[in-house]
Amino acid sequence: MSEHKGKILEQEEIESLLPWYVTGSLDAADTARVVSYLAQHPHLSAQLDNMRAEREQIVIANEALLPSVGALNRLMASLPAVRPSLMQRVSGSAPYRLVADFFMAPTARAVRLAALAMAALVTLQAVVLTIVLRDGYTIYHAASGPLSGEGVSALVVFADDARAAAIAGLLAEFDANIVDGPKPGGVYKIRLRTVDRSQQAKDALLRRLAERSDMVRIVLPSRD
Amino acid sequence: MASDRALGMTRAADEASLIERIAAGDMTALRAVFARHQLRVFRFILRLVQNAAVAEELTNEVFLEVWRCAGRYEGGASATTWILSIAHHRAVSSLRKRREERWDEAAAAALPDTNDNPEVAMQKADKGAILRRCLDALSPAHKSIIDLVYYHELSIREVREVLKIPENTVKTRMFYARRRLCELLKEAGIDRGWP
Repeated sequence: MSEHKGKILEQEEIESLLPWYVTGSLDAADTARVVSYLAQHPHLSAQLDNMRAEREQIVIANEALLPSVGALNRLMASLPAVRPSLMQRVSGSAPYRLVADFFMAPTARAVRLAALAMAALVTLQAVVLTIVLRDGYTIYHAASGPLSGEGVSALVVFADDARAAAIAGLLAEFDANIVDGPKPGGVYKIRLRTVDRSQQAKDALLRRLAERSDMVRIVLPSRD
Repeated sequence: MASDRALGMTRAADEASLIERIAAGDMTALRAVFARHQLRVFRFILRLVQNAAVAEELTNEVFLEVWRCAGRYEGGASATTWILSIAHHRAVSSLRKRREERWDEAAAAALPDTNDNPEVAMQKADKGAILRRCLDALSPAHKSIIDLVYYHELSIREVREVLKIPENTVKTRMFYARRRLCELLKEAGIDRGWP
C-alpha cells in the first residue's frame, strides 16, 4: 500500500516538473530524474505534447503584443532631473558641476548658447531631409530587410521535419526573410515583401503561405 | 551546456553592472536596461491587466522604480527576475485597485471579439486559436505563472523569486493552472484527457 502511495507521489512530483522540462529550465539533477521516469512511462509523452502546444500558443500570444513608440522618451521625461546620489557626485567634480550649473541655473549666456545649439541642430536636420528627399529613401534601406510599409509581417512555426534548405527555398519563393527568432516554441517572425500594399493582398499572401502545410504549421499575422 | 552557463554568468554580471551604474545615476545604463527588458515587462503586464494603456503606464512605473531603487538591488537574483518581480507587484496592485473590473474567467472566455475580421474568425476555428483564448481566460494568478514558465522561461527558483511564493507552491500553482486550462478546453470542446 505504502509502495503504491510512494509511486503516486513520485508520479505527481515528476509531472509537476514537466513544464520546466519542456522549456529546458530544470537543473541537471531534476532533468535526469525526469528523463529516467519518462523512459519508464512513455505514456507521459502525450502530456509533453500538450505542454509544447500550450507553450507555442503562449509565445504567439505574447509576440503579438507591442508597446507604442516613444515609451523610452516618456520614461526619460518622467525621471527626476537629478537624483540625490548624482547631485552628491556632481558637487565634487568640476566638469560635472559645470554641466549641471549650465542646465540648473541658466544665465543669459547659457540661454544664448542653447539657442545656438538648437539652431545648429535644426540646420543639420534640414540638410539631412534635403538629401533624403533628393536621393530617395533607398539610401537608407537596411541590408537586413525592407522598410515596414513594403510588406507584411507574420509569426510562423515551421513544420518539424522542414529542412533548412527547404525553408530557405520557401522564403525565397515568398520573397521573405526572417527578422526575429527562433522564439521559444520555435516561433519565427518573418517579413514578406509585396508590391500590392492593400490589406486584401497581404491577407492573400499569408493564406497562400499557410496553405504550404508541408513546410509551415502555423502562420499568423503580426504587427510590425 | 557549459558554454551556455558561462554565457549566462557573463550576462548576469553585465546586467548587475548596469544596475550598479543606474544606482549611481547613469541614465545611459537605464536606457540600456530599458531597451533590453521593456518588451518582456510590457508583455507580462499587459497579459495580466488586459489594457494596453494601463500596461504602458505600469511599465513606465516599473522602470522608474528600477531607477529609484537600483541601490537596493543585491545581485542575488538576476536582473530579469528582479525587474519581473517589480512588474508583477505593480500589475497585481493595479488589478486590486480595479476591483470593480475583477477577472471573470467565464465571462472572459465567452467575450465576443467585435474586431474579428473573416480571417480572424476563420483562425478561431482552429485548435491553436481556441487554446489561446482559453489561456487568455485564465485568472491573473494562473496566467502569470504560465507566462513566466512558458514564455519567459524562468526556472522554478526564479518563478519563486518573482511571485514571492515557496517552490512547492510554484509547482502546485502551475499544476492547477494547467488543470484549469484543461477544464476550459473541455468546455470549449477539446478534451485532452488530462487530468
